[in-house]
Amino acid sequence: MAIVFEQVSFAYDERSLWRHSALEEVSLELGTGVFAAVAGSTGSGKSTLLQHFNGILKPTGGKVRVLDFTLQAGEKQPPLRELRRRVGLVFQFPEQQLFEDTVEKDLCFGPLNFGMGAEEARERASKALALVGLDDSFLPRNPFHLSGGQMRKVAIASVLAMDPDVIALDEPTATLDPQSRAELAELLSRLQREQGKTVIVVTHRMEEMLPYVDTWIVMKGGAKVFQGSPAELVRESGWLERECGLAVPACITTWNNIAARFGLEDEEPCLTSEKLAWRVARLLERPGQSIMREGGG
Amino acid sequence: MRNKLLFGRSIDTGSWVHGVDPRAKLTGMILYLAAIVIVGSWPALGIAAAFSLAYMISTRIPLKYYAKAAKPLWVLMVFIFAVQCLTVKQGDELFRLGSWALYTGGLSSGLIAASRMALLVSFTAILTFTTTPGLLNQGLAGVLTPLRVIGISAQRLTLMMSIALRFIPTILDETHKILKAQAARGADLKEMPWKEKGKMLVSLLVPVTVSAFRRAEELVLSMESRGYVIGAPRSEYHLLSWRLRDTLFVVSYVALVAAVLSIRWI
Amino acid sequence: MEGTGLAFELQQVSFAYGPEQPVLGDVTLDILQGSWVSLVGPNGCGKSTLAKLLGGLLAVNSGSIIVEGTPLLRETVQQIRPRIGMVFQNPDNQFIGATVEEDIAFGLEGRCLPRAEMVERVKRYADKLEIGHLLAKHPAELSGGQKQRVAVAAILAMEPGIVIFDEASSMLDEKARGELLNILREMKHSGKYTMISITHDAEEIMASDRAIVLRDGRIAADLKPRDLFGDEELLDSCRLIAPYEVRLVRELCRQGIRLPAGYCGEEVAEALWQLYSNK
Repeated sequence: MAIVFEQVSFAYDERSLWRHSALEEVSLELGTGVFAAVAGSTGSGKSTLLQHFNGILKPTGGKVRVLDFTLQAGEKQPPLRELRRRVGLVFQFPEQQLFEDTVEKDLCFGPLNFGMGAEEARERASKALALVGLDDSFLPRNPFHLSGGQMRKVAIASVLAMDPDVIALDEPTATLDPQSRAELAELLSRLQREQGKTVIVVTHRMEEMLPYVDTWIVMKGGAKVFQGSPAELVRESGWLERECGLAVPACITTWNNIAARFGLEDEEPCLTSEKLAWRVARLLERPGQSIMREGGG
Repeated sequence: MRNKLLFGRSIDTGSWVHGVDPRAKLTGMILYLAAIVIVGSWPALGIAAAFSLAYMISTRIPLKYYAKAAKPLWVLMVFIFAVQCLTVKQGDELFRLGSWALYTGGLSSGLIAASRMALLVSFTAILTFTTTPGLLNQGLAGVLTPLRVIGISAQRLTLMMSIALRFIPTILDETHKILKAQAARGADLKEMPWKEKGKMLVSLLVPVTVSAFRRAEELVLSMESRGYVIGAPRSEYHLLSWRLRDTLFVVSYVALVAAVLSIRWI
Repeated sequence: MEGTGLAFELQQVSFAYGPEQPVLGDVTLDILQGSWVSLVGPNGCGKSTLAKLLGGLLAVNSGSIIVEGTPLLRETVQQIRPRIGMVFQNPDNQFIGATVEEDIAFGLEGRCLPRAEMVERVKRYADKLEIGHLLAKHPAELSGGQKQRVAVAAILAMEPGIVIFDEASSMLDEKARGELLNILREMKHSGKYTMISITHDAEEIMASDRAIVLRDGRIAADLKPRDLFGDEELLDSCRLIAPYEVRLVRELCRQGIRLPAGYCGEEVAEALWQLYSNK
């Protein structure tokens, strides 16, 4: 298991008058090499959850185990340096953290902080840039002169340059144009498939991550209300939408409608337009097959 | 989200103090400041403390909030206390450490100075606790109106202040976020030797400055598109009306100053 | 509607931030009063600049802009600006007041309205946007969606005939985005506003009457949103993705299943079931 939470609670300003609780007894397990996504409405604790993965926030109750590190409420924390290197955390609008005058310097910032030599850091920088689909010609450029989408990619690369095993991102696609969003989701999926990284994404746009994610977590009011596969999420989307304020995308509702009409509830859901069109075409080719409940026409 | 509690946070309990004209409150605060400066003895401090306590209670805001307001300045208070103890050499010698001795006079004036500081900070919190920032600004504009004589527009000055106040929490939040983001890239200020902290500050200051400028730019656009023109006449949403209660409020502060003064001279 | 019936008339409008940075060139277009126009295009195509020109926040280098019959000039800009409201992308950076109430009142104070009318308008428009219970709140206590509602209320309270939305929903979460879209739909329905929205959001474009595609500072296409989403090449050049329903109908068509366009939600399943039953 890459990440294990045991009844983790977290409250901001724990000992003050303005204490307010952000996580409540969250327990979860995420295996090594998964692509997980955390959904939920604003203020449901998604970002707070994410910041526990590398010790930016420490639990005020319960126990967090990430890789071979353990953070337990009330106990002295171990040194976090190595944990921070192995778990890369990308905050919302990461381009706002860029500060150097060249892309290369910004990419080397992390590796140098973690004690790598200048040569190795530069190598890492170039590799990380390739991972986000930008070539070495970007290295000498000023990050503040890039387009929004490119800045976002550079900022993500600046975390990848530390060569983390786990990468956790908070709303990585926010404010990008639709095609850049789709490209970024694909890129993250490649990191998971080809580099074997564990990827965890906080998102409120479920559709763009749906084709890649294998574990969904839904948060509500600081508590975990759902964890499961995409198929399970699709099946439970009704009450998650009604009771947890989850914004269920059109591809899920459409599938659920078609599945209900044609009696396909037990099948693996087809969540892209291509897959669904193909499935429907097969249905229409041979009326009567695979219809369990309603007979045929 | 959390920093809003420090700045411009009003707590509405609907007490009569909340309803006092902000101009009266500001005048009162200035008088209070004068009184605190004059306080130099235990009886005077006692009067000021009793006066403060009476006002704090009548705001119906729990006293612990006032204590909390004074807390960030405890280092300063300890410092002031220590300076008095070290330098004032009056009264009886209490104990001696090598060439330095603590005198009763030093201890007493140290305690008075620190308490004055605590009183001042927690008492001025009354102003921010009981007045919404908008009203406060308008009060300030009222108090500053005489500045027009020397060519300064009170309205512009207060708009500037209100925007600064409005954005301080936002920029603090953002600074906090960037601190965390850089910590995630291995630059944790908390775990870093002092020598390197300076270097790390750059990784914080550049992003915060860039973003503050961007915010300022967008805010200007937004204000312009809502028809804001520098120096153009504006009407006022909050209407202030001075009542007898406000006069009495100010008079009570005049009385405080008078009481403290009389103790000093008697 | 009075005047020419046109909210905007643009004649060969050009704009550059400097000699090496041309942004817009030779833009000519008319926008009907009461219509809802989407301005789309890839980043850097000049759509935000065009929005600022339309809102009188920037001045053209050459060409002319006529707003509801009045030419937009340095001398007339203060007189025209009150007719145009703008809602921007970042909910935080357009919150001027220290409370919701003060923020809505900010523009009204500039109009020198008497207090009684300001109070009445603040209340009326806050109620309209369902933020009446938030009037005393500080922006830090509000969600992004609530702040954007405040921005819309502050604009509408000034009672402009034209409202420009510059990526107003792009920083919101899905739920708030849907809610803002409904507000836009209601505004359109009321017939009182000419609306211009700059957006990447497929649903928002779909809800508008007309899409103007900008590329490299020029108008590349001017068409019905439905036709925009039917043109894959054009969509690619704007870096847009069609709404799921449109993509599904297209894919079904590729599989030889023809559904009339314009279905949404449950209707697709129903139409397919009909097809299936009739086989």
